[in-house]
Amino acid sequence: MFEEILEFLILGLVLGGIYAMFAVGLTLIFGVLDIVNVAHGEFLAIGGYALYIAMVVLGLPAAIGLVVAPIAVFVLGLAVYPLLIAPLQKRLGRRAPGPLFLVLTLGLSALLQNSLLAIAGGEFLSVPPAVKGGLDLSFTYISGQRLLILAVAGASLGLLFLFLRFHRQGMAIRAVAQNPAAAQSVGIPLGRIFTLTIALACGLAGLAGALIAPLFSVYPAVGFTLTIKAFAITILGGMGNLLGALVASLIIATLESLSVIVIPSEWQNAIAFGTMILVLLVRPQGLFGKKP
Amino acid sequence: MSALRPRTIAITVLALAGLALPLVWSHPFVLHVAIQALIWALFAASWDVLSGYTGQVSFGHGGFFAIGAYTAACLTKLVGASSWIGMVAALLLCALVGLGVGFPALRLRGHYLALVTLGFGEIVTLVVTNWQSLTGGAFGMHDYGTFSGLPTDPLAQKQAAYLVVAAVSLTGLAILLYVTRRTNAGPAFRAIREDQILAASLGIDTTHYKLLAFSLSAGFAGLAGALYAYYIQLVSPTVGSSASSALVIGMAVFGGVGTIWGPFLGAILLFSITEGLRFIGVVYNLIAVGAVMVVFVIFVPRGLAGIRLYRRGRQQRGDKLKADQEAADAAS
Repeated sequence: MFEEILEFLILGLVLGGIYAMFAVGLTLIFGVLDIVNVAHGEFLAIGGYALYIAMVVLGLPAAIGLVVAPIAVFVLGLAVYPLLIAPLQKRLGRRAPGPLFLVLTLGLSALLQNSLLAIAGGEFLSVPPAVKGGLDLSFTYISGQRLLILAVAGASLGLLFLFLRFHRQGMAIRAVAQNPAAAQSVGIPLGRIFTLTIALACGLAGLAGALIAPLFSVYPAVGFTLTIKAFAITILGGMGNLLGALVASLIIATLESLSVIVIPSEWQNAIAFGTMILVLLVRPQGLFGKKP
Repeated sequence: MSALRPRTIAITVLALAGLALPLVWSHPFVLHVAIQALIWALFAASWDVLSGYTGQVSFGHGGFFAIGAYTAACLTKLVGASSWIGMVAALLLCALVGLGVGFPALRLRGHYLALVTLGFGEIVTLVVTNWQSLTGGAFGMHDYGTFSGLPTDPLAQKQAAYLVVAAVSLTGLAILLYVTRRTNAGPAFRAIREDQILAASLGIDTTHYKLLAFSLSAGFAGLAGALYAYYIQLVSPTVGSSASSALVIGMAVFGGVGTIWGPFLGAILLFSITEGLRFIGVVYNLIAVGAVMVVFVIFVPRGLAGIRLYRRGRQQRGDKLKADQEAADAAS
């Protein structure tokens, strides 16, 4: 029993790493632009497809694929702000946006997801794992891919936090998140920071997509369920709170993988949605948010 | 008002001609598209009552649609109830569920409300997928028959089904328009949309009217679901998926959010267009819906209904210019 729990805890930790890479980006976009990116999951799917193209179609080694995929998604993410969000912001001016940005990103999600379906077809494409072998603990066996996910998730999130803490551009992102008008008045170009923020978050999602591709296969809707789960995570962690999103990812992932012991696995997805509704009703500012 | 009359007549004639078209040109495919378009139209109008007209955006309306569809299917299959009872039951049950969802959602606004309704839609999909003894799981329910009392001849049956769906859908639209344009609820809904706190300070019972909007909107979404269940004769968990919630939002944005008749017409047009695209390829219709959402939100935020308002504004400016001209002529 104890070993079983430990095994599911380790699986939960790996899952939590993926959730964190995804949810931290989502909450970063929300914190800086005040926009909930419904299309975030599609960038994860595109990351998976990029890895598939690099490894299976072009036959490149996995290491190159894992570098190329997030860069490709990052470049795609650079286009989101100038092409979609800036025109709407410009047209709105000072009026309250209401749900318009949600509708916009929902439309982008439908557009990207079905474009993937049209181009790549609906099949589940399998990708070989990036690392062979694994770690043989006495009670369980952890595949190398899962260890790689843990390492890369830890490293990329660590780098992101360091970047935001110490790099000039990272500090500019934090300044815009705190007060866009004040940031602009000290000479920070808002448009460039918005573009960079979305691209960074998308690149992180793309990297997550490339990492889970060998585990879950690649298909157009791979990201959408994750998007909804990530909403639950960002709400639990407090919207716009990066560390909160990281901790909430680990909490939700651990709960999900431990729940398999108690409830049938078909109901696993209900945990995230249930948590989200519960948090919104009891403590809408999230675990680590301040009272509004 | 008298200046409007020729246009009103023209619109009525056009609408009647459009409604009669599938009966005259009774190709099965035309009827099939027309029936589904009318079902989606009622669904889009119901979404707009809550999300556009009252400003409480729901991203999980597919959940209500699914509950309505499953209620109708279950009642007819298990109890043998007639389709009319099934439709009324779907309407009432969904209105009740809408009240239940609306109550906790009262304290939420904007992003949070959208996300919680999205979660509601996903939970409905999960429940109908996993409650296998009642709903048949992922394969769904079938073999419960269509509307009661239709002829057995396939073409005559489709024509009769068209008449039933058109009657129910238009009655639904009329009720929604009546409630929002001719009762006290309409101004209250609009006041809540514009400024909730100001509305409350003016003595509008925002709790009461928000719950009314929730149950009205959910009820008619459920009715649309029941129509769908009886016409298609198969309900599966995909009817309530987030894809159908997204589709209905796309239709409403296309038609013009906040006018109720705009989304109704927008749904008919967009559905007909995207069904036409099926000849090119099945996936292209959803790409088109996504593209329509993105383009319309940025460039035509008021949708097709807004284009009409713009024309009228230009006409009014033209009239004013002419009146000024005449006044100047008279003065000189």
